[in-house]
Amino acid sequence: MTKEEAPGATEEEQQAQSKKGLKKQQKEAEKAAKKAEKQAKLAADQQSTEEEDFAKDRYGVSAMVQSQQKLDRVLVRVQDLIPEKADQLIWLRARVHTSRAKGKQCFLVLRQQQFNLQALVAVGDRASKQMVKFAANITKESIVDVEAFVRTVEQKIESCSQQDVELHIERIFVISQAEPRLPLQLEDAVRPDGDGEEEGRATVNQDTKLDNRVIDLRTTTSQAIFRLQSGVCQLFRDTLTEKGFVEIQTPKIISAASEGGANVFTVSYFKTSAYLAQSPQLYKQMCICGDFEKVFCVGPVFRAEDSNTHRHLTEFVGLDIEMAFSYHYHEVIDSITDTMVRIFKGLRDNFQTEIQTVNKQFPSEPFKFLEPTLRLEYTEAVAMLHEAGVEMGDEEDLSTPNEKLLGRLVKEKYDTDFYVLDKYPLAVRPFYTMPDPNNPKYSNSYDMFMRGEEILSGAQRVHDAQLLTDRANHHQIDLEKIKAYIDSFRYGAPPHGGGGIGLERVCMLYLGLHNIRQTSMFPRDPKRLTP
Amino acid sequence: MQQTLTLYLQLPLFRRLKRNALFIMFIVHLLLYLLTLPVIMSLSDDDDISYHRSPLLLNTQGGLNTQNGEVEPAVKALEARQDEIMRKLYELKAAVEGLAKTVTTPDADLDLTVSSSSSLSSQSPTSTTFRGTTDLDALLGKDLGALRDIVINANPAQPPLTLLVLHSVLCQRYRVLSTVHVHSSASSVPPQLLSCLGPRHPDSYARQMFQLGFTLIWKDVPKLQMKFSVQNMCPVEGEANVARFLFKLLSPYPSDPAVATLVDSWVDTAFFQLAEGSSKERATVLRALNAALGRNPWLAGPEFSLADIACYCCVLQSASASSAPTNVQRWIKACENLGHFGPAKLYLK
Repeated sequence: MTKEEAPGATEEEQQAQSKKGLKKQQKEAEKAAKKAEKQAKLAADQQSTEEEDFAKDRYGVSAMVQSQQKLDRVLVRVQDLIPEKADQLIWLRARVHTSRAKGKQCFLVLRQQQFNLQALVAVGDRASKQMVKFAANITKESIVDVEAFVRTVEQKIESCSQQDVELHIERIFVISQAEPRLPLQLEDAVRPDGDGEEEGRATVNQDTKLDNRVIDLRTTTSQAIFRLQSGVCQLFRDTLTEKGFVEIQTPKIISAASEGGANVFTVSYFKTSAYLAQSPQLYKQMCICGDFEKVFCVGPVFRAEDSNTHRHLTEFVGLDIEMAFSYHYHEVIDSITDTMVRIFKGLRDNFQTEIQTVNKQFPSEPFKFLEPTLRLEYTEAVAMLHEAGVEMGDEEDLSTPNEKLLGRLVKEKYDTDFYVLDKYPLAVRPFYTMPDPNNPKYSNSYDMFMRGEEILSGAQRVHDAQLLTDRANHHQIDLEKIKAYIDSFRYGAPPHGGGGIGLERVCMLYLGLHNIRQTSMFPRDPKRLTP
Repeated sequence: MQQTLTLYLQLPLFRRLKRNALFIMFIVHLLLYLLTLPVIMSLSDDDDISYHRSPLLLNTQGGLNTQNGEVEPAVKALEARQDEIMRKLYELKAAVEGLAKTVTTPDADLDLTVSSSSSLSSQSPTSTTFRGTTDLDALLGKDLGALRDIVINANPAQPPLTLLVLHSVLCQRYRVLSTVHVHSSASSVPPQLLSCLGPRHPDSYARQMFQLGFTLIWKDVPKLQMKFSVQNMCPVEGEANVARFLFKLLSPYPSDPAVATLVDSWVDTAFFQLAEGSSKERATVLRALNAALGRNPWLAGPEFSLADIACYCCVLQSASASSAPTNVQRWIKACENLGHFGPAKLYLK
């Protein structure tokens, strides 16, 4: 209603008007007051931020390190930060594992491989509010350079590896920022499977882990597994070198399939095609005929088997041994088992931290073995299986479930996770296996098992060209294709034998893991070709 | 002989040289006479050595040689006869020693040609010490065509002497493949424990040629344990029980239940009180042993049994052999004469 439409009741209308007008005025006055307050506050804030950011040069995102200058700064390792270093001012570079703001303080956990420690930014005369806010907002997994004082703590920090110290940050700079949304969270990746289901917290699917291997490799478990694998390789090399073996490298592009037809990858080789080596078998033997006497080689092995199991990969690392012996192929078995026992002892004595770390996520029984290694004969194994109710023929090969059952029976009787099964039937072995001299049904060949799964297949090889030809004919193999192989035995060949183990399988079985992809850094199987 | 004597007595005193030579001759003749005499009396088969004058006596004046200085053929013959006599004497000595052992070792079916210091590798007492037939198939189950392996897990801190002794007896009876392993749980095992089952058998590369397997594993176990057939038998625990199992492979328990119970009770006494008991308990056991051995040659009566093996090993291990009462000492000697305890003594050295 307008003022023009009410000429008559002037006094009342004026009164009404003034009431409404008063109310309106009051409302406007309130609004204005609020607005003024807000503005004043903002102004105050701005003033404060502008005024109080005295720490502006002590934090921030660094320019990308393009080798602008060569600083002589010494960066300390997290694992070296112990109470003895208290009150020192140090620089270090680590990843931000977590960052959590709490009022005027921000708690960060800084991580380097398997070690982490707590760091603290607090508003005070060294750090401003903006600095604390910046620290709280650093994305996880970013790499930061930190200058801080090492301080001891009264109460142990249970959740970190360095429990007795914490850092009080002076300066913090981001060297490499991580994207805010990570494809997987590290805590989830390390969580044991059982826990996740119970408490409703997530665990990460293996496929996700493998797709984002770069992040998964940063977890403590992965670090431990691959350090142990490196240890296995090193112990293998050291033990064999000490025994007088020579390391050789064999070609992986070969002209003929060594183990027999189907499971071999073909590559185009200029105008023809070639194959990727299924095993260094042929070349190891040629080295023996070339008078190296004892050789070993570490290299990739390619098997085009379309098996999607927990223990098969299309490409894996093979640790192969071949040696000439004097009179009996048991000399070879003794040498190989002694090497394996030395590897187990080396892992047990030097890699306990890694084994414990892996056990936290994947609990398992510690690995047990006998010295000297237990050697059973195939007939004994068949007898044990018969006793356990399994029906199998005397000359039949062991199926995977039978192998596992046999492993359990041997574990129960002898309490060992590692044993050798000797004298396999001739019918189930390759053509170059030497037959048993006393019983033509059996051969001088052996398999070695860890936790009931096969890790090594070996034998005394046929070193006589004539016998080799006969055996090849018996197996109906085209002699033309293996002519070069047979020729190597025509000019004097010593009796020899050997075997090959898979590095990933040995690690998987030693640690009691259940999938070989956990011990292969970038696994290859029929369904996976990247990363 | 008489001629010499008269000659000697008739000599004038001032003929010293000749007299001394004669004196020496006299002594030699005396010795020869004494040697031939008892042998002639006891050995009836030596008809050729009749009591007659040795041709030597005809030449007393000239000595043993003829005037030319050559050795008389008669002398050679005499030397040969002398050698023959010495050999027969040594044989007799061995036989007498064997008989002596039988006298001090009651009721032991010994082969008399065996010497008492037999080591592991030399000739060993025959198994007739343990009478009775045993059939491996009946005891251990049907032969499935593979080595029947007995696995024993023992703690290196308490080596089972009884089982080592039983092992050596088993080796004489059957073809046994013995192996020693060290488990990954055992920290350090002294080298004598690694070779306690003797040297590696030359045929050990072919397991199926053996009737029985004896696998000893040094392991960190609280109590000694034996495993044989995982499907049909639970593990057997305790040295006493394993000893009983192994003994049954050699000879059955005595058929008389009273004697069998006595054997069992001595076995238990040995392992629980003698080996593990305090010094007071051990003294009590030694007195009980003394009393029992006063009545019988062996602990369980007239026959050697598992009780004797067990008690002997435990006495040896508790080092109370030297302070034991007389009967026990005699029994210890008797046990040692049997020669089975070689491995136990070897280990303790």
